[in-house]
Amino acid sequence: MSFVVAKDLCRTFDLSEPWIVRKLTMQPKRLLKAVDHVNFEIERGTTYALVGESGSGKSTIANMVVGLMQPSAGSITIDGQNLGNASMNRQEQQRLRRRIQMVFQSPYASLNPRWKVGDILSEPMRAFNLIDGATAQRRRVAELLEQVGMSETDAGKFPHEFSGGQRQRISIARALASQPEVIICDEPTSALDVSVQAQVLNLLKSLQQDFGLTYLFITHDLAVVSTMANKIGVLNQGVLVEEQATVDLFSKPQQDYTKMLLSAAPKIEFSS
Amino acid sequence: MHRFFDSDFFYAFRRSPIAIVSLIVVVFMVLSALLANFIAPTNPFDAASLNLMNGFTAPMEPNAFTGETFLLGTDDQGRDLFSAILFGLRVSLFVGLMAVGLAMVLGVLLGLIAGYVGGWLDTLIMRLADIQMTFPSILIAMLIFGVARGLLPAELREEMAITVLILSIGLSEWVNFARTVRGSTMVEKEKEYVAAARLIGLNRWQIMLRHILPNVLGPVLVIATITLALAIIAEATLSFLGVGAPRTEPSLGTLIRIGQDFLFSGEWWILLFPALTLLALALSVNLFGDWLRDTLNPRLR
Repeated sequence: MSFVVAKDLCRTFDLSEPWIVRKLTMQPKRLLKAVDHVNFEIERGTTYALVGESGSGKSTIANMVVGLMQPSAGSITIDGQNLGNASMNRQEQQRLRRRIQMVFQSPYASLNPRWKVGDILSEPMRAFNLIDGATAQRRRVAELLEQVGMSETDAGKFPHEFSGGQRQRISIARALASQPEVIICDEPTSALDVSVQAQVLNLLKSLQQDFGLTYLFITHDLAVVSTMANKIGVLNQGVLVEEQATVDLFSKPQQDYTKMLLSAAPKIEFSS
Repeated sequence: MHRFFDSDFFYAFRRSPIAIVSLIVVVFMVLSALLANFIAPTNPFDAASLNLMNGFTAPMEPNAFTGETFLLGTDDQGRDLFSAILFGLRVSLFVGLMAVGLAMVLGVLLGLIAGYVGGWLDTLIMRLADIQMTFPSILIAMLIFGVARGLLPAELREEMAITVLILSIGLSEWVNFARTVRGSTMVEKEKEYVAAARLIGLNRWQIMLRHILPNVLGPVLVIATITLALAIIAEATLSFLGVGAPRTEPSLGTLIRIGQDFLFSGEWWILLFPALTLLALALSVNLFGDWLRDTLNPRLR
């Protein structure tokens, strides 16, 4: 079985007016199907990309995979363990949480502005009881910063002292701090300059090779996808319309929607 | 420290005469209240040292019987007004600060819970705040004061008067804190660093207190300063009405009440000097609070 499996994933949002208003104005309930029976599987050590325009349900799926949101129906299993299993005790939940981490879209909102970088990075170690003792934690923070291409002295600084690209590196370091196996990247480069985008993507790639990470990449940027993903799923209005290996999707897209997406993107030349 | 003197904040402070003067007045008042024991020429609470013959001595004039002079005169008991004001200032400031502290802790906690947890708890807390806003806070304070005194045994009333005063003013001023904190909490909780904290399995309290609280405290400081002025005035009002600080431990409001009895018989100083002190204190705290709000509010810059 694949490492990450999403089965019949559904999520509806209730956009109705409050009960009393609804009864008085005789309106029916208004439900939005953000994710509609989506199935996908990700093999260990590979990258799966979900692409689609705004409002296609990409981020909702990301939030369900990390457990920030509960699916309305369907299930997500990681290494055979069901994420929504209510019978797990706190310890088992923490053990599963440690294996799934996330890199967020906004480098400005994803780091607590009042915390020093060192504290941000050592927090997961404390939450998961990974490393005891302040000295050992500091050593691990230095190691993490080095892994994402930053220096040990940055641990004593606050997030506002860094550029967007550097903050995204810190965000990646925080995700790595709990030694996860799956990292969900929710548009990790969309807030960055193009030149910085490439650096961050290269970093993610080399980390994948070093630690055997599995990525779920959420993006609307097809150029990003073409360099990163092994397999691509195309989402349209909550429905997975097409799923193909990266090379195949770009060379022979099957669905009209995919063709439209590809033609809307700026042309990219492949050198390889 | 070096960072502070280079900051925009300090620059704005240096450029504002109002801020400088009001801060100096506040610091001066706080210091003289703290050091009242050393500055005051007499101890106004020591009944044995009072000489009734000294009663109603005008400022800077020798007393007709004893020949003693007093900087700001004496009251009907022969108490030196300057000393009484210093000790009264201490009571007023203590009650004000403690009441603001109570209101702040209560308001910030309730606001955090309302904003972060939401749902029916939010509705309950904020409707309670709305209801309280429809009453003048001095009325609420009097209500709480009256109920608390009714519940206390008679022999404890004098002793507990200051505590009850703090409680009643504190409980009547929490609403502004709660509203502001709730608003900023609702903004902060949608940010991704909160999602990151949830991902590593922190519980609600850890997220609220360790992650959100430091990010919503900015405006709280401003509200606390403005509320301090309100609390000092509320305390003076309650004491003036005779329901606040007892005669044995007079605050500025109590002194004003005592002075009021003699205003029309020509002893103007008993009322005037405590009233001027209260005015200077409340005005400078308020002006400093206003300046803080204007300086720290990014929308006004």
